[in-house]
Amino acid sequence: MQWWTIFQKELLENWRSLKWVWVPIVFILLAIMDPITSYYTPVLLEQFGDLPEGAEINIPTPTPEQAFMSSISQYNLMGLLLILIMTMGLISGERKSGVTELILVKPVRYTNYITAKWASTLLLVLTSSFLGLLASWYYINILFGDLPFSHAMTGFLFHSVWYVLVITISVFLNTLFRVPGLVGFLSVTSVIVLSSINGIFKSQFEWLPPQIHLYIQTFLNSGTLPTDMWITTVLTILLSAILLMLSVFIFKKKELAS
Amino acid sequence: MDIAQIPDVVAELTAMIPWKIIIPVMILELILLTVAIVDLVKRTETNGPKWLWLIIILGFNLVGPVVYFIIGRRPH
Repeated sequence: MQWWTIFQKELLENWRSLKWVWVPIVFILLAIMDPITSYYTPVLLEQFGDLPEGAEINIPTPTPEQAFMSSISQYNLMGLLLILIMTMGLISGERKSGVTELILVKPVRYTNYITAKWASTLLLVLTSSFLGLLASWYYINILFGDLPFSHAMTGFLFHSVWYVLVITISVFLNTLFRVPGLVGFLSVTSVIVLSSINGIFKSQFEWLPPQIHLYIQTFLNSGTLPTDMWITTVLTILLSAILLMLSVFIFKKKELAS
Repeated sequence: MDIAQIPDVVAELTAMIPWKIIIPVMILELILLTVAIVDLVKRTETNGPKWLWLIIILGFNLVGPVVYFIIGRRPH
């Protein structure tokens, strides 16, 4: 099958460019840094803080749920930035350097080309984020107390839905523009705009994609999945699907024109 | 403080460091650093001077290797 061949080629390329080495490591470090520092900050302050005699430090120890949420927030900030910078040349860079032409002189279907690239990136990012949250869960159990494994994994799954959208936005912009820097800038901007819109309208429309983080938090604290979470998830997946189809459509048009 | 006491203090501080927690983090960072440096040494050409990348990778913990992987490696 053609799709599978291109997908494997992409995986091999990600391996050769060492992405399968450094992306998982960086995601693990991102996920565990926050729980570890928030656990040791009070200890360090007490020992080396040079505080005046009798000063009381009152930093409440986060609950396991809060600590896990801090890993997810880290993903939502640094992880997001990393993904967008990493994927900004995914297609645009290849078009600029002429690799796309080399591939597309063969009878490769545009749909296969785009979706295989999308899927290989998704696999890399989701595997890395899974390993990171697994490590975070492990540390939280040692440092802060019991956090059910199923809760951590549910958090991972719903957070992945958001990452799917983020990667799709990047792929979409990659088909629109040829300059990787511009793609990176616009993808970061669009995610910020999306989050701001959500911030403004969340009381009127509570199912915008960034809202999913609030629901993950609610879930971790209560243990039940709110209905709104499912609606948000379905909407996010739908939006990603539309963007992916648009990407293929735009890419086809642009490649045929050039 | 008496100079003779210093080894005791050092020992006390070392005992306080939660090695079980810190060592995995250190190992991961070390792998990242090693992979970046091995790649830098093997590569014939990079984006920008090699010595500068060496300083960046060694000087900026975590961020240095990542920046190198993203923009330093020039595709063959």
